[in-house]
Amino acid sequence: MTTSDEPDQEPVAPQLVRPYVITNGRNLLGDHEFSLITLVTAAEDISRTGNLDPEKRRLLELCSGGYLSVAEIVGHSHLPVGVVKILLSDLTEEGYLFTRAPIPAAKLVDRHILEEVLNGLQARFG
Amino acid sequence: MTQYFQDPALWGLIAGTPVAATAIIRGRKSIAELRKEKQELKAHYATLEDHYAEAVEEAKDRAEEATKTALKSAMRTLQGLASEQQLAITKLQDKYGELQILQDLLDIDHMNSQFARRAQSIAVLCDGWLGRQRDAASLYDVVRSAKGRIRHFTRVEIRAQSNFAIVSRAVEPVALTLAELLDNATSYSAPETVIEINIRPVPKGVCIIVDDAGVGMNEEEKARAAKLLSSERSPGVSGLGNPPQFGFTVIGVLAARYGFTVSVDSTSPYGGVRAVVLLPDELLTAMPEPAPEPQPEPKEFPAVAASSPMPPEENPVAPSTTFGGLPKRRRRGAISIVPTADSAEAPAPRSSEQAASVMGAFQRGTQSGRRSTNASSEGHETQ
Repeated sequence: MTTSDEPDQEPVAPQLVRPYVITNGRNLLGDHEFSLITLVTAAEDISRTGNLDPEKRRLLELCSGGYLSVAEIVGHSHLPVGVVKILLSDLTEEGYLFTRAPIPAAKLVDRHILEEVLNGLQARFG
Repeated sequence: MTQYFQDPALWGLIAGTPVAATAIIRGRKSIAELRKEKQELKAHYATLEDHYAEAVEEAKDRAEEATKTALKSAMRTLQGLASEQQLAITKLQDKYGELQILQDLLDIDHMNSQFARRAQSIAVLCDGWLGRQRDAASLYDVVRSAKGRIRHFTRVEIRAQSNFAIVSRAVEPVALTLAELLDNATSYSAPETVIEINIRPVPKGVCIIVDDAGVGMNEEEKARAAKLLSSERSPGVSGLGNPPQFGFTVIGVLAARYGFTVSVDSTSPYGGVRAVVLLPDELLTAMPEPAPEPQPEPKEFPAVAASSPMPPEENPVAPSTTFGGLPKRRRRGAISIVPTADSAEAPAPRSSEQAASVMGAFQRGTQSGRRSTNASSEGHETQ
């Protein structure tokens, strides 16, 4: 509809489908379930994605190239973090995605243990 | 004979006859005149009555027009505020997406959408502004958008996705129409029941079918609804009744203006109302190709430990359809942390000084790493 008092088109139109509709009004996940550095990848044998919501399909496509962290997925999806986490959790439960806890940073090994191992080896083979 | 001449009655008769005759003739004349006058009066009265009706009608129209203008401008302000608020909420959702406050922001977003829809409905009745023009959107997204504009949206289940999309000018009207239908459906059915939406292609276009499990409508209500839904001209703000019934009136105006049809005269399989929106081919289009996304703005995330390099992405040429046969969105931009060698977004070549400092930093890093782990067991090191 065009009327004379229609304002200038603003550059940013609000999203058509709001985030609370995408999650269907569900509550956010607890903090422990997904962290920003949880790694996610798509399962090998994905079939029947036709019934998934467009947002979920897009997340699956994002993840199909290998492990991605939740933070990266959020950056590409243009959705709030909490909403992406809900969708990822759904996809994981439905078997479309695998998650992996982040790889812990390398720790310094206790010198004492190494010495004991060395001593043990020497006692046996040395 | 003479006796008769002497009779005064005779003389009386003789004298009276012409008088009587004259009187009768005069009487007739005056009756005819009176009739004529009466007819003239009648005609005059009729014209007066017509003028009066016209004047009343005109006054009514003027009042209606004035109401419409006032309401239209008021709604225009409210709609603008609602959409401004929606943008603000979107920004907040992105900013605090990680925190529990997001839950509240989502709720506020929902309330804002309902508020915007109310203002939009009234604006439609006043021939006002329907909202910002949207891009063509998939039917599924339009239905979901409609779902988000009512209070009890979690009761609405969309059964089928489709490959249809709606042309840009019809996106808002169809979404608003569906929202009003869904609002009726949720209001007139028990809180635990589900409202079901099906999308079905038909020879003339596409049908969106809304089934509720409510109490249904009786014949009188159906007739009234059909009248409102098919009316070319809106009954206006003053014809909404008390309590005002917006839904069907708004739908009727939108359907007439944008050329789709809505019927509510059948019964749903669950005993409630079945509403059918028939969108003709003119309002349909192919699924829109996603517009090229602007480069995502850098968001502020806590530094992610990039301790686990991703496997470099293989050729990111995605097939053009998904497994389900739907058009596939192409991924934009490199996604892996490690950019591929031929990535289009490779960083600009460094100057020699930069390269030298980077290499230096790398070397210092490896050295300190080796020292700290005391990793002499890894073999001989040359420095």
